[in-house]
Amino acid sequence: MQVTIPGDVKELVAKRGLKESDIVDVVNTAEKEKKYLKKGNDALAKKRIGDIMVYVMCDLSGKGTAVVKTAYSHKMNLGKVVNLMSESEWKTADGKPVSDGHIEVEYMTVRRNAPALVVPETGDAFLEEYLAVKTIAAAEGLFEKKRA
Amino acid sequence: MNNHYILSIVVRGKGISMGYEEMFPPIDKKWHSNANKRFASSFVDKQHDRIDVDSIILSNACVVCGYTIRDFYTKPDLGIACVAWASEMYDLLPVTHWFFSLPWINELGSTMQYKETLPPISTGPVISEPEEVDTKINVPDKETIKNGWSTKQFMTAYDYVAKNLPETLVPISYGFDLVGAAADLVGVENFIMWTFTEPEAAHKLVRKYVDTSILGAEVMADKFGSAMLTVGSVLANNDIFDDNAVEEYSVKSMYYYVSNCFKRGAGPQVFYHLCGNHQTDYTRFKENLLWSPFTVMHIGYSGRNAFPAAVLKETFQDKATVMVSVDTKLLIDPDPSKVYNNSRDQLLAGRDAKKGCILGTCCECPMYTIPGQMRALVKAARDFGTYGTW
Repeated sequence: MQVTIPGDVKELVAKRGLKESDIVDVVNTAEKEKKYLKKGNDALAKKRIGDIMVYVMCDLSGKGTAVVKTAYSHKMNLGKVVNLMSESEWKTADGKPVSDGHIEVEYMTVRRNAPALVVPETGDAFLEEYLAVKTIAAAEGLFEKKRA
Repeated sequence: MNNHYILSIVVRGKGISMGYEEMFPPIDKKWHSNANKRFASSFVDKQHDRIDVDSIILSNACVVCGYTIRDFYTKPDLGIACVAWASEMYDLLPVTHWFFSLPWINELGSTMQYKETLPPISTGPVISEPEEVDTKINVPDKETIKNGWSTKQFMTAYDYVAKNLPETLVPISYGFDLVGAAADLVGVENFIMWTFTEPEAAHKLVRKYVDTSILGAEVMADKFGSAMLTVGSVLANNDIFDDNAVEEYSVKSMYYYVSNCFKRGAGPQVFYHLCGNHQTDYTRFKENLLWSPFTVMHIGYSGRNAFPAAVLKETFQDKATVMVSVDTKLLIDPDPSKVYNNSRDQLLAGRDAKKGCILGTCCECPMYTIPGQMRALVKAARDFGTYGTW
């Protein structure tokens, strides 16, 4: 898989402290293991790298090419499925349904719930970008300061 | 005539918003530090001191500081300063809040009026026919919300706190009662009728109100970097609606509100406030709300009684921190043992909730809450909610 990272996305991921090599790794690993989500031409992949979970969203409309649209990360560990809600617009790489729902997240020994995209068949979960960079990032900050 | 009295006269008589910080001694940092750790206890699994008490103190804070209910609402900066002072006095939360029940309807066309003993209310419905939801109710753009009346009230309060009481600042945006506020635009009785005869218009009206409220949260988050969300189901309760209608109109709207507020940078804290009678509809909230790592679930009543803490714990402890309640009318009953005993019973049933417990009141503590009864509430939290004693 040829991974292309446009200039504006390079700037964004640099601001978010992510390495381009890690982004390529996330995409290639997901492609190899066929473990990613799809919505139209978009694909969402994730991989734990060190202490953070790195996500990459790509446009797969070009054959054999993944054009990175965004990448983001969070520090929380993803845990068990809490509940499944309605079916989302996403599918697994092999076309199975993906639900909106909640999973347990763990950070600094605290376990709480967070909304996520959940694969009902496997319990695998993905956090969407807005949650990771806003809601969860803010929650991580509060946990680190031990305040609410 | 001392300076405090002179300043009070200026504040009361002229409505001049100046120098409230000069009227209150500085916050007790030792108290605040302890209260801060206590407040965090429920959310970070690091038990400290005792279960916290949130009596949802609003205009009562002004009353106990020598001002009026009207002062609380007409002068948000004074109001929130009084909340800070009362919170320290009663050993409540280390964070401040200020709100009223009908935000954002002014931006949808309502005219607001102040009352002596009530929060600001509208002068009346702005529409009466279903087709007017399309023609007369328009979701404003963000700039209009930013410069609108509701935002001005909240910013007056939170700018004051940011400047003078920064350690107590948790910016909050209020959807509050999504169904009730939307209903106010057409009149509550008409709205209830519409849910039977014009459900499409009723749904559309609620959605327009919710979309407006989401913009309010976005404006708050833009300014402060985040914004706790307080959203409730007040009109939508079992005295008015069956469980299906509560789910359709309220639960789904709350999910939509929180989800879209998160997308705009608000959160991560969420306070779900189910006021009124939620005897059977409470089950509909469990699997259909959005749960963030910092969520509190609060339910006021089951029938005419305080919602049982055991049921609240059993139902929601895997989802969120639970806030168990004492019947608010006991706070104006001249028998503090009733508050104490009700608090004890609710604490014993709810204090070991998996994700933490807070002791609260079923709704806002009454404007003329008796100080001794507030003491009974906090004393019960000390006597039956101190960590390590059970």
